[in-house]
Amino acid sequence: MKKKDVINYINVFLFLLPALALFVGILIAPIMKSLYYSFFKWNGMGAMEFIGLKNYTELFTSKAIGFWKALGNACFLAALSVFIQLPISLGFALVLGRGIKGERPFLSIYFMPVLISTVVIGQLWLKIYNPDYGLLNSALWKLGLDSLAHTWLGDTKTALLAVFIPTLWQYVGYHMLLMYAGVKGVSPDIREAARIDGANESQVNRYIVIPVIKPILKVSVIFAVTGSLKSFDLIYVLTNGGPLHATEVPSTVMIEMLFQRNRYGMGSAIAVMMIILCFAFALLISWAFKERDIYGKK
Amino acid sequence: MKRKLLSVLMTGAMVLSLAACGGSTGSGSGSGSGSGSGASGVPANSATAGETLATVGDITLDMWCIATESDSNRHSYEAAIADMQAAYPNVTLNWEAFENQSYKTKIKAAVSANEMPDIFFTWSCAFLQDFVDAGRVWCLDDAYQNYKSELPESMLGNSTYNGHHYGVPLTMNIVGLFANMDLLKSVGYNEIPGTYDEFIACCDALKAADIIPFGCAGKETWCVTEYLESVIEKSVGYEALNDIFLGRATWDNKDVAAAVDTFQSLVNNGYFDPSGIALSNDEVKANFMDGKYAFYMNGTWNCADFANNAAFFPKVKVAEFPVINADKATLGQLIGGPSDTLAVAASSAHPEVAAEYTFELGKLICHYGYLDGCGLPAWTPYGDTSAVNALTQDVAAICGNATGYVLFGDTAMNADDANTYLSYVDQVYGCQVNGDQFIQGLANDIR
Repeated sequence: MKKKDVINYINVFLFLLPALALFVGILIAPIMKSLYYSFFKWNGMGAMEFIGLKNYTELFTSKAIGFWKALGNACFLAALSVFIQLPISLGFALVLGRGIKGERPFLSIYFMPVLISTVVIGQLWLKIYNPDYGLLNSALWKLGLDSLAHTWLGDTKTALLAVFIPTLWQYVGYHMLLMYAGVKGVSPDIREAARIDGANESQVNRYIVIPVIKPILKVSVIFAVTGSLKSFDLIYVLTNGGPLHATEVPSTVMIEMLFQRNRYGMGSAIAVMMIILCFAFALLISWAFKERDIYGKK
Repeated sequence: MKRKLLSVLMTGAMVLSLAACGGSTGSGSGSGSGSGSGASGVPANSATAGETLATVGDITLDMWCIATESDSNRHSYEAAIADMQAAYPNVTLNWEAFENQSYKTKIKAAVSANEMPDIFFTWSCAFLQDFVDAGRVWCLDDAYQNYKSELPESMLGNSTYNGHHYGVPLTMNIVGLFANMDLLKSVGYNEIPGTYDEFIACCDALKAADIIPFGCAGKETWCVTEYLESVIEKSVGYEALNDIFLGRATWDNKDVAAAVDTFQSLVNNGYFDPSGIALSNDEVKANFMDGKYAFYMNGTWNCADFANNAAFFPKVKVAEFPVINADKATLGQLIGGPSDTLAVAASSAHPEVAAEYTFELGKLICHYGYLDGCGLPAWTPYGDTSAVNALTQDVAAICGNATGYVLFGDTAMNADDANTYLSYVDQVYGCQVNGDQFIQGLANDIR
């Protein structure tokens, strides 16, 4: 290797070093530390006892921990996000991206919930769902639909769905904004050409706009799925995983293990599993969105 | 005179009953006492050894507690701290209050990182034991010598590990059966029923009159335990329940299973507000004070809030839960004990001063808390206590007749076991498991 090349490599390394140090210090090191702790039985304070993979074995086999149920709930939320939340966001983005009257105010209004603190949103929806004076039950009573009035967050059958609705309400604007940016990026010339060829508005959206914004749709799906897998704040405020663990998700189980049961090893094992699952789903979604030819090959 | 008598009786009862955590054995810590060496195996800082509150120079101590603005103990903390600042201007106390549930997380994280304040609020028994075992808590044996006459040693039972004291108790509370007498009178009851059969008949009468008998916050499982533990204790007796909570006996006890079934019959009979499962304790308490429920089983620290509500206070009375199985349980067997505690961090720069300060502060918080009706005094009462509200005095009378106490289950057990237990209590309240499944599940899952 020439001396000049070596100097170049050193220069590149030196320039990358600050970013690399931040990346390792902030992202890689905590993950590695969690992985390390996950092999121990530790209450967070006293001596640590190495137990190998026992935390993982217990995580997947113990009914008392209920990790499978929590994971199932997170996947259910992810499915609702992808098949309900994102289509709504896409619909808004396509309509607003067309340049309708009042485009800007609508954009701001739909985006507003994203700016509000999740705890505030949680408190707001707690009041809406309150079985005694909540807006929802009051509206049902006023409409004479007393039989539909319900303890929405207290019934194992409705709690998970009741938790999802505020999530949808909060993040629909976020995904809409991402997609709106994509829709606005579609060249007016392509739209015009399609119209000249006789395509109506829905055909333009279906055959021109949506394929063009596919990379943004991929990002939205990844955000929606990984966001659901690690969802925590709204659930913590609204139900804290209850009633009867009906709204438990991996994050709430992790918090219970770490801070209520003092099982730092098990909590770390859950954290590691969440990281692995988020990466796996992100890779799976990226693979699913890859362009393929008619024979299914890239 | 009557109140002094009650205090003496209460203390006597505590001596009989507080076997609780005093027998628990913390390992690895708490060795050093009596020689100035730091407890928890942490040697005393030689630079600060021998310091006292009176002789120390200008120092600052930090304290964390749960006396938030809405907490019934807030006033007692503020008054006590103001008195301390006036008495010891050389010591500046920086104190912060946190919401109860989040505090549990915060203090554990702080202990884990060894970044605790000098003085911190804690619950006694198993909650504090983890900190003591980790060597993070300063032993208070030396400092206690100066307060023996004012703080009976029996009150330190729940914060004593391996024979060493690690906490300053503030107040003690029991689970009380609070009743809205206006609602009871509306169905023909002028007093809280004293026997279980009368009690059930009263609930039936309330239900027939479209009055919900019980309010219980299902969103906070500890509120369910206030009911369940009382039912179990009055079915199997306090000794049996104490033995189970402290790990001296198995959960696989048929009498406990029968008691759990009894509790579930109350739920299945529709005595509990069905909305309660989604409500917090604050919401349920507000509903009780608004007249939605006839009974509310909860800690006697609520006396202060009830006393502060002029419209509601004349309506409320307190009693203990009636006996269900007279062969095994008697009146006077109660759920509760001194749990609210202040402790000193072993990492404090001035542990000896902090220890002395904690005793002085604890005494004052106890004094003002008792006057406010936040609970019964763990310390010997002093001064004029005639202003103590009637409800708290009734609680003192109940405690005066106490023959045994069982500390709250989630405080008596270690964190992991307590959460397993709470999970099963949740399932019992939701009628997902019956008595047999409850005892078998706990017998298998409690580690």
